[in-house]
Amino acid sequence: MTAYVVRRLWQMIPTIAGVILLIFFLFNWIGGDPAQVLAGKISNPEQIANIRKQLGVDQPVWYQLWVFVQQVFTFDFGRSWSTNEEVSRILLTRVGPTLTIMIPVLIIETCLAVLFAIMVAYVRGTITDRAIMIVCTVAMSISFLVYIIVFQWLFGFILGWFPVQGWSESFWKNLFTYAPLPIMLAVFVGLAPQLRLYRSFFLDEINQDYVRTARAKGVPEKKVMLKHVLRNAMIPILTNIGISLPGVFVGSFLLEVFFSIPGLGREIITAVNRSDFPVIKAVTVYLAVLTMIINLLVDVLYKFVDPRVSFK
Amino acid sequence: MILLTSRALKLSAFLAAVVIGLAPAAYAQQKVLRFAFRTAETGFDPQRIDDRYSVGVCENLFEGLLTYDYLARPVKLVPLVAESIPTPEEGGTRYTFRIRPGIYFAQDAAFKGQKRELTARDMEYALKRFRDYRNRSPYEWLFENKIVGLDEWAKKSRDSGKVDYDAKVAGMEVRDRYTISFKLKEPDFNFLYVLAMPNVVPVAREVIEAYGQDTMGHPVGTGPFVLKEWVRRSKIVLERNPDHRGYELETRYADTTDEWDRRAMESLRGKRLPLLDRVEIYPIEDEQPRFLAFLNKEHDIMDETPFAFIHQVVMPSGKLMPALAKQGIQVFRELQPELTYFPFNTNLTAEGRPNPVGGYTPDRIALRRALALAYDIDGEIDIVRKGQAIPAQTPVAPGVVGYDPGFHSTANNHDPAKAKALLDMFGYVDRDGDGLRDLPDGAPLTVRLKYDAGSAEKRQLAELYVKSLADVGVRMEAQGVQFADLLKDKKVSNYMMATSAWIADYPDAQNFLQLLYGPNTGQSNEAEFKLPEYDRLYEKSQAIPDSPERNAIYREMDRLMLAYAPWRLGVHRVFNHLQYPWVKGYKKHPILYTNFKYLDIDVAAQRAGTRQ
Amino acid sequence: MSAVLTNPPSPPLQESPGLWALAWRRLRQDGVGIASLVVVVFFLLLMAASYTGLVAKDWSKEKGVSYANPSFMAGSENLEARAMAQKEAATRPPPVDLSDIDPLAPRYKEWEERAAKIAVTETKRAETLAFGGDKWGRDVLQKVIKGSEVSIFVGLTAALLATLIGTLLGASAGYFGGWVNDFLEWFYNIFTSIPYILLILAFAAVASASGKFGKGILPIVLILSLTGWTGIYRLIRAEYIKHGNREYVKAAQAIGASNWSRMFVHILPNVSHVALVQLSQHTVQFIKAEVILSFLGFGVPVDMVSWGTMLAEAQNELVIGKWWQLFAAGAAMAILVTAFSLLTDSLRDALDPKLK
Repeated sequence: MTAYVVRRLWQMIPTIAGVILLIFFLFNWIGGDPAQVLAGKISNPEQIANIRKQLGVDQPVWYQLWVFVQQVFTFDFGRSWSTNEEVSRILLTRVGPTLTIMIPVLIIETCLAVLFAIMVAYVRGTITDRAIMIVCTVAMSISFLVYIIVFQWLFGFILGWFPVQGWSESFWKNLFTYAPLPIMLAVFVGLAPQLRLYRSFFLDEINQDYVRTARAKGVPEKKVMLKHVLRNAMIPILTNIGISLPGVFVGSFLLEVFFSIPGLGREIITAVNRSDFPVIKAVTVYLAVLTMIINLLVDVLYKFVDPRVSFK
Repeated sequence: MILLTSRALKLSAFLAAVVIGLAPAAYAQQKVLRFAFRTAETGFDPQRIDDRYSVGVCENLFEGLLTYDYLARPVKLVPLVAESIPTPEEGGTRYTFRIRPGIYFAQDAAFKGQKRELTARDMEYALKRFRDYRNRSPYEWLFENKIVGLDEWAKKSRDSGKVDYDAKVAGMEVRDRYTISFKLKEPDFNFLYVLAMPNVVPVAREVIEAYGQDTMGHPVGTGPFVLKEWVRRSKIVLERNPDHRGYELETRYADTTDEWDRRAMESLRGKRLPLLDRVEIYPIEDEQPRFLAFLNKEHDIMDETPFAFIHQVVMPSGKLMPALAKQGIQVFRELQPELTYFPFNTNLTAEGRPNPVGGYTPDRIALRRALALAYDIDGEIDIVRKGQAIPAQTPVAPGVVGYDPGFHSTANNHDPAKAKALLDMFGYVDRDGDGLRDLPDGAPLTVRLKYDAGSAEKRQLAELYVKSLADVGVRMEAQGVQFADLLKDKKVSNYMMATSAWIADYPDAQNFLQLLYGPNTGQSNEAEFKLPEYDRLYEKSQAIPDSPERNAIYREMDRLMLAYAPWRLGVHRVFNHLQYPWVKGYKKHPILYTNFKYLDIDVAAQRAGTRQ
Repeated sequence: MSAVLTNPPSPPLQESPGLWALAWRRLRQDGVGIASLVVVVFFLLLMAASYTGLVAKDWSKEKGVSYANPSFMAGSENLEARAMAQKEAATRPPPVDLSDIDPLAPRYKEWEERAAKIAVTETKRAETLAFGGDKWGRDVLQKVIKGSEVSIFVGLTAALLATLIGTLLGASAGYFGGWVNDFLEWFYNIFTSIPYILLILAFAAVASASGKFGKGILPIVLILSLTGWTGIYRLIRAEYIKHGNREYVKAAQAIGASNWSRMFVHILPNVSHVALVQLSQHTVQFIKAEVILSFLGFGVPVDMVSWGTMLAEAQNELVIGKWWQLFAAGAAMAILVTAFSLLTDSLRDALDPKLK
């Protein structure tokens, strides 16, 4: 097993190298010139050149790439070009709000999706099943943007149940005052696709031989569902959760923009708009590494949970 | 020996309970102003920032030599840390200031427990910081080619790589502890305005050196507020500096017939300012959340009501909608000293190709004038600006010295008939039968407009221009470009037409007219307009102070601009600022960015109002 | 007498129906599937009609007043239009004379004469439109139809391109294995390790800055397809690995078919149903992504309309009570996407009933 893990870790290196190259060339070659934004309303070419020198972008391309590689290994991406804040500090402070929204979303969404999926799988093939699936499809076809605009207007403004936007210093205030509307929105929108997916997992299990055997043995249907099907379906469900974990860290930038939440998603958009390369580099590399590690963990966990699968 | 008798204990417990019980009540009595910025801030090191909100916060943390009177209109310079406004000496090349003794910086660890008095050296240090290449100051241009010896000092630092703040600069004489005299290379009668800008303020050298790269987050000034809390792009909290000497409202220049002046005097007269204990600022860039937050009483004032919602706020007459007026909300309408415009690239080539809109021959000028006349400026005002704008007649904005409200020209009207006639006359007709006009030599004509892709407003302007030109038979392609790239493209003239805007840095027409001054090509002269007659007039106007003579020169320059059409003028926008009735003393200043020093909150009314 | 036994006529040779015929038969029996197919075909026809100019030809004409009310709300207040109508004519000082410095001055007289001869037509603007007007007074119903054409076209083309890329790369990786597979897997990992919004934003920013992605809707199609091929790649690659070892492929090799021939003439038809389902699914995904890109300002250019641009415009309209553009674009999109999704599901069921 250790050999497998080591081999996977080893394979991560060329991927990270690829990620670095891709981002580097995208933003260096064709990305916007940050010196222009930083230079202010009136500036002469000399000042622009000075700024570029300070930011280090006047160096030859291969040198900048070398600096980038060094940064990746020392985890020091320097300071943001637009606010001069330390990039690592930016990331650390932004992850908090994003997680405050996304972790409750993940938990609530998963629980509800599993619950509803089991119920729907129980009545599979009936009109109810079909109807619910269609409702899900319709729900999924409305743009997230429309949901946000309507929800914010309806619940925040017309009904006044939640503040329209905002964020505070206190974690508990955030969780109970500012986060509920965005969380509700995200769960509402994310439930439909998750429900469909989990339903298909459950149906896969229900069609297995061992279920037929259990029924033949006279096990009550409810027990079949809860004890056998659920347990086995948890494998793909957990895998699915694992795969969506990196997304939890990025968060939903639309939610963050509309609700003024100082999270990572909004930070990414701002950084791209200002061509703030250090922030973009750091976010990309950290998230890429995180994604790969999570994938590795999920695969290892999977192999523990499902002994039929062997390490290749 | 302290006798812990049971009686003493009970007494202490009682006192503790009283104090704890009173504390929240004490906090609740605090005057707290909550409001939203419409773009995010960058930081609070005055010599390193240029965005209006960062500068606006600095207005309250720092104090410069001069400032503007709160109530006087037109705006009037008054001394702040200087004892008086100096008269220009030596033909407008020397200005000598004496700083008032007894002004102190806010407490900071860098002062090692001592009270730190403001001295003339601090002013000298700050001005040098503008030219310190390591600061990459966006306002460096204010002090370029201005003060004797400063350019040489800056060049020496850049070449040697070592910045020596102790080296003397001939043009900045520190005559004694509180006196500093500036010698300029050429007469400049607008220099006083520069010294009133909120980021041209003295800073303490120990603080800058102590905080190194983190000066953005550690502003230490002599101002009435200090930075209490800062969560970047999310929350800024200012608190009153208890050690500040305080201000009093100057009523000398007030207009007793103006209701805002009267209300301000009523609320503030005789009181020690600032009255606010705390200011909480929330940057919210999206319009809908910012608007709804104000309506929900999460904020106390809203500067610059988003245009999208203007009809729910003010009626066409300018009066507040009844639903809002019922709550006692006030609206302050303001024509800001700013201008939007569409620059043409006046060079003969652009983007590596021949540029049909460039050039100074009659046929090229005719094309530009026609493109200007074709644009539906009325549609822009009605639809995009929701009626909250007036069409610009000159390149100078209202409210600045040298603006001529009586100047009116038809060159920037919406007149498709005249545009078509002009195009026909100079040979811009359809030659290849595709229904669109071509160049006189037969090549197809395509006008390319670059706009800021991230701005919904600019996208609408681009949409409107495309439609306007289609109506006169000219093909236009609009290209949305990233903000940073647009800035670069405009600076190196890599465009045919673009969207642009300018807001006054200081209240003089020169700040606008320099945008067309030939030698400013490559900097602020985006159109790269080079007309010798214009430049001659500009230099002539620089050498004299505000006078009818100078105004006559400005008028000539306006006329030249309209004739040669390096720009299509846009609009001056009208902004509507809203306040809830518990905010007192409000009057929006055209140049100052914030007015926290002059506001008061009726705490009981605020609490009652927000509870509903 | 010769005993000639006549054979009873043998039953006609029944060809075993192919995958597609079977699938079509199954689909026909699926009520929901047929219904969604009808809806999708309707939209496609609408698209064609809009493209050829049969309908929505003058969607960009400002027929109505600003924010014209829908006909069914004819009586409601329209503050925006009223504000424009009530605009007072500003009293202007006499215009300044430029004739002494104006290079055009010599031809002033000619200019006046020509301008006077050009007629300016003032079209009367309608107070209400069928489903209301947007801020410029353009007909929302026509915009929605034209927008459908653009959005569906963008979604379909991007999906086609993505499927093409994904299939080509997936086939190569799955079939050849070895270093080709390793290289493509590495490439795939790079794209999937970078967060999707970052990838899209990066490509979008690059597209707008460099202008190298072309004009019109080409940039957005390229952005979507160059970032969205990964899912297809994964599935096709798995299929090709599965099929590559099958006997029929070995048989093809025996008769001398080249690698390319084996990949695309022999295996591809057996794998095409997977590609088709993916195509359908990605069309939906890209239509939804176009909306987000338009919101961020990277959508279709200024002279075109799509569901995305309509929703981006409608963002601020709900608060001022103008709900019709939001509703029209949202509903049209919802109907099409629902139909397409249901069709995808039915297709998948029809093509591979074991999965049901």
